[in-house]
Amino acid sequence: MVVVTHPNARLNSIEDMLVVESLTKTFTLDDSDLCAVDHLSFRIAPGEVFGLLGPNGAGKTTTLRMVLGLLQPDEGYAAVDGIRTADDPIGVKARLGFVSASDGVYPWLSVREMLLYFADLYDVDPDVAIQRCQDLSRLLGIEALLDRRAGTLSTGQRQRVTLVRGLIHDPPVMLLDEPTRGLDVVGVQTIFEYIEHLREVGKAVIVCTHRLDEAERLCDRFGLLHQGQMRHIGTLEQLQSSTGQPHLVDMFVELMRAA
Amino acid sequence: MIDKPSRKFSKISRIWRLCQKELKETSRDRRTIVTLLLMPLLVYPLLSMAMNRYLLTTDSSSDVVYRIGVGSDSEGNRLDAMLSSDDAQPPEAILRSRGGEPATFSFFNTQQRSDGPPLSPVQALERGLVELAVAVRPDEEGSTTISIKSFAADSNSLVARQILVERMQWLNLALAERAAADTNANFRPPVNVELDEVGTPKDSPILATIVPLVLVLMTITGAVYPAIDLTAGERERGTMEALMASPVPRFYVLLAKYFAVVTVALLTAMANLLAMFTTLWLGGLLPLLTGGDSAFPWLAVLQILGLLVLFSGFFSAILLSLTSFARSFKEAQAYLIPVMLFAITPGMLSLMPGVQLTGPLAIAPLINIVLLARELLGGTVQPAAAGAAIVSTIGYAAAALAVAAKLFGSDAVTRTSEHSIASLFHRPRKAADVPSPQAAALVLALLVPIYFVLSNLLMQYLGGIRADMLGDAAKLSEIQSANLQVQSMILSAAALILVFGMVPAIAAWFGRNRPVTTFRLRRPKVGTVIGACVIGLGAWAIAHEAFVIAEWFGIGGLSEERIAQTRDTLKAWKLVPPWILLATLAATPAIIEELCFRGFLFSSFRKVLSPVQTVVLTSFLFGLFHVLTGSALLIERFVPSTLLGLVLGWIAYRSGSVLPGMFMHFVHNGLLELVGHYHEKLAFLGADFDNQTHLPPAWIAIATSIATAGALIVWLSTRRSGNIDIQSDKIEDLRRST
Repeated sequence: MVVVTHPNARLNSIEDMLVVESLTKTFTLDDSDLCAVDHLSFRIAPGEVFGLLGPNGAGKTTTLRMVLGLLQPDEGYAAVDGIRTADDPIGVKARLGFVSASDGVYPWLSVREMLLYFADLYDVDPDVAIQRCQDLSRLLGIEALLDRRAGTLSTGQRQRVTLVRGLIHDPPVMLLDEPTRGLDVVGVQTIFEYIEHLREVGKAVIVCTHRLDEAERLCDRFGLLHQGQMRHIGTLEQLQSSTGQPHLVDMFVELMRAA
Repeated sequence: MIDKPSRKFSKISRIWRLCQKELKETSRDRRTIVTLLLMPLLVYPLLSMAMNRYLLTTDSSSDVVYRIGVGSDSEGNRLDAMLSSDDAQPPEAILRSRGGEPATFSFFNTQQRSDGPPLSPVQALERGLVELAVAVRPDEEGSTTISIKSFAADSNSLVARQILVERMQWLNLALAERAAADTNANFRPPVNVELDEVGTPKDSPILATIVPLVLVLMTITGAVYPAIDLTAGERERGTMEALMASPVPRFYVLLAKYFAVVTVALLTAMANLLAMFTTLWLGGLLPLLTGGDSAFPWLAVLQILGLLVLFSGFFSAILLSLTSFARSFKEAQAYLIPVMLFAITPGMLSLMPGVQLTGPLAIAPLINIVLLARELLGGTVQPAAAGAAIVSTIGYAAAALAVAAKLFGSDAVTRTSEHSIASLFHRPRKAADVPSPQAAALVLALLVPIYFVLSNLLMQYLGGIRADMLGDAAKLSEIQSANLQVQSMILSAAALILVFGMVPAIAAWFGRNRPVTTFRLRRPKVGTVIGACVIGLGAWAIAHEAFVIAEWFGIGGLSEERIAQTRDTLKAWKLVPPWILLATLAATPAIIEELCFRGFLFSSFRKVLSPVQTVVLTSFLFGLFHVLTGSALLIERFVPSTLLGLVLGWIAYRSGSVLPGMFMHFVHNGLLELVGHYHEKLAFLGADFDNQTHLPPAWIAIATSIATAGALIVWLSTRRSGNIDIQSDKIEDLRRST
């Protein structure tokens, strides 16, 4: 484990593995400002799967990018394991696993080479990396692909490789951005099993998606995001009682109509 | 806990593994292999065939036979008899000093052709069948008139004409000498010439000429594709976001990429050179390349390998810094094409005789290594200059890599290229505090051509006025030259305002940048201004010393001609009223240059760079613009101006304002001009300003203490304001709270 360098870094209880507090980002377009994320706050405990839900352009990806330190927030902060992104970006990145549907692969490397490359990027000991590579490949059923060139993989195979890549350094927090985009039924099922696995091993997980039916089956808690603002947050029961709607889809239709 | 050495070792082995990945990735790419192997395998045999063909048609210049067309056999015989007589042969001294064999001529009677209809000699000349058409007419007095017609567009014909004319001249001369000796027994030729030489003949082998150019072309060719693929390609493959999300220092990633690009560039150039040598060796052309030596040039090959590392290292870093900036393959290609064209120009330098690796050229990027390659292979290299070239090149490569590491993945997740380019030409509706770095880059790009055009127009105009004033007189009168000097000073000041004042001003207006924050017009503390003025009083000595030291290192330095010009300028200064001097050469530059460099550019760069980087970059640009003067490059101004820029930048950073720098700039310039104006009156101090040597130690000590005292005042006066230079993101807060 990396030693926490900042004296005030440990701000929150261990219970919340990921803390997002008042996070705000405004993009300056040519003629106007667009507030993509507006004072967003939520917390996630280890072993919890949190669904960050919203239509396209709600600010889901921007939020994840600020957590990752790829974008600087205008206001607020994100902290992983008590460390703020702004204080120790490298330390935070080391604790995050990130999987996005748009992630590419290095076409000329074999799957194994690519996984070990990412292990090196995350500074995993080479011997440990080889072992983890084996274990995770078995878990996600890509053992047969390990020596194939990444450029020859199908979409579903590629997505599974990306999932293994996100876990290669055994991070306590996983960020999944639209993990089921472009996948068939079998592919989606793999993702579900993967997330189930993450819950079992005690990871704090954010799943960003606009597939509300999937989210309902997957997540422990939900945050409904619309135009950069958190409109509702809680478990399904809490949301049902506060909105009076039986399903997430209905809640969203209601939400967007009101807007 | 892991102990330190093994931790360090694991860091190195991690970077090594990162390097291996990049190398694997690029070496498995078919397109890399094409440039690496296919090109040299095909290009050189083809090139060699073309070269052989060329050599066959133009070769053997020593035993070439010039064909002369005549109208009849008798004319031919007569001319032949004249040319082959001993009297018509060039004298021994002439032949030896030219180092050649006498040329031979053959004669054709064009009226009796075996392979076609009869032609007049001129017709044969026009058809390229002969080099010269000659008519031979004896006249009654026993003399012969030879009329020669040559073909103006054919260099062989012109050479033949010259040789023929000379031969006839030797004939005349020999006969005249003999006649003189006949009439006067004491006749001796007035001059006898004897020839001798020292040293060995230096024919610079083609190797030294052609290899540098090949190195430039081939290392670029080799580096271009991997450089684009490993940087802009990450974005295109969709791996950039994952890469940037990983906790690896960006510099490691870039170092690994650099390693791969250098390796491919190195291999490409080696493959090319191997193919080149093999083709030449097989074609028996190797002696041609090495200047007559038929042995395989092992030393040269070793030297070339060393040079290759230097070239690949340099180009790979430059190309990476550009491709890191690009967001797509296409954009990267668009950036690289001008660079490649630009790089060929210095490459051509190696074909030009007489350019040597000395002075400023030893540290001029790219030019220095091209010249180093040529001199190394030609065996004429100077160790000091070679050292300067190598060290400065490593410095440039390191700087380019640092830039690349800064740029690479800096906006991994946002924006398309269209957005950023279009926004430059589209006036925003919202005001901004400071100009964007793109706007600053555009301003810089505009400053160069506008300044060039304007200052050249100015010089033409002044030249015209001078010519008018001069009329038929040989020299301008004192009043006239003072008049001219005043005009030129006022116009130069106007040009400065138009270019360095107006261009940033228009850019700031167009970008709706708030003037106070853009030009950093904050009110400084009185103490800071005083301190800046005091620095200005002492800084000239430091600038002078920098100038002398730079000259000592061979960077800049003044030619005799330049010193004479400086003397003239000083003389002219004495004729000009001091207030005009101060207004045009001190006040205007102080205000305008500070607003441009420590205002507009400083605030813009500060948005993305650290204070140190901003100060260094603005002073480098400040130095560079002092080198450009429109017509000539005054390289000797670079070091002192950059140093001055560093001091001004530091003051600007400490004070958060452009104003104290203006005062220092004014005091510094003004002091120099007043010294120039009152030159003689200051002579009692023992100063000799024409002399390009170090100042007396006492002077240096005094000036340095003054400057140090000034710096101390500036530091003390700005000490309590904490982070003195307001960062752009904090300006907003400041503005809101007030």
